Amino acid sequence: MAYADLPLKVLNLGLIPYAEACNLQKKLVEEVACGVSVNTLLVCQHPAVITYGRRCGHDHILVSENEIRRRGIELCQTDRGGDVTYHGPGQAVFYPIFDLKKIGQDLHYYMRMLEEAAIAPLKEHFGLNAYRREGMTGVWIGPYKVGFIGIAVKKWVSYHGMSLNVGVDPEFFSLIKPCGLDVKVASINDFFSDEVQLETICDMIVEQMAHVFQFEVTGGSRQW
Amino acid sequence: MVKVYLPELGEGVAKATVSYWYVEEGATVTEGSELVEVSTDKATFNVPAPCSGNVIEIVAHEGDVVEIGAVLAVIEEDTVSESEEEAEGA
Repeated sequence: MAYADLPLKVLNLGLIPYAEACNLQKKLVEEVACGVSVNTLLVCQHPAVITYGRRCGHDHILVSENEIRRRGIELCQTDRGGDVTYHGPGQAVFYPIFDLKKIGQDLHYYMRMLEEAAIAPLKEHFGLNAYRREGMTGVWIGPYKVGFIGIAVKKWVSYHGMSLNVGVDPEFFSLIKPCGLDVKVASINDFFSDEVQLETICDMIVEQMAHVFQFEVTGGSRQW
Repeated sequence: MVKVYLPELGEGVAKATVSYWYVEEGATVTEGSELVEVSTDKATFNVPAPCSGNVIEIVAHEGDVVEIGAVLAVIEEDTVSESEEEAEGA
């Protein structure tokens, strides 16, 4: 699909608590829906948090709530799609607040494009065999899931989005059944002896996201 | 009566699961307010109230899998005329 170059504002939020990022997204959804704000891409990391959607099975969190809190991890229910996941330092999180009416008005097409925004740079810049699996939304390298997608749409404006493990302690994922599936989880840095900077990957994914949706980055803060 | 339908969500999306009702049967809603959330794959989608009025019937309940175009609820539309609205606002 081809669209006119729409403006895109990119905001780097740094390390921000999950709930705070959710509040900002909801405010931006209203602004984008009524045309006060242009499409906005939030890029951030979160302090350790396990989040679960409304459809999450209780048995997908494998340890007690007390144990989770004892480890200093927050627990939050969210209104995004999908099951349970983990966010924490070393994971790049992307929250596109996009007016989907102007880019196809198609939930699945939108999610495929999010995947593409991560897959293309991983292949082209890092030589990784990143790919998508039919019926298994996310970004995969071999048998490992490295990218996670869970979105919400209100007034045809998207929020929530995609997270990509760059250098995450795998121990945290052992506390949950990610996405409700028996999947192996990895980080980009597991595939290299030299550490890849999270900021480098963020920059590439922002560029690719602008490219796949034919947006023109016009403002915001790009300092990682 | 105004029927609330599950809208088209994109190519290849034939069904969605009703995941959350923001209101109960009998509730008063305003046009554009959050009414019901549906889910497909890794996405949730908010279906807004198409008009102001009273939700007289919830047809599709949480957990139900419904097809695109299916009726989710029925709303009895407010019959307040413009002149009455003006009088209320005066």
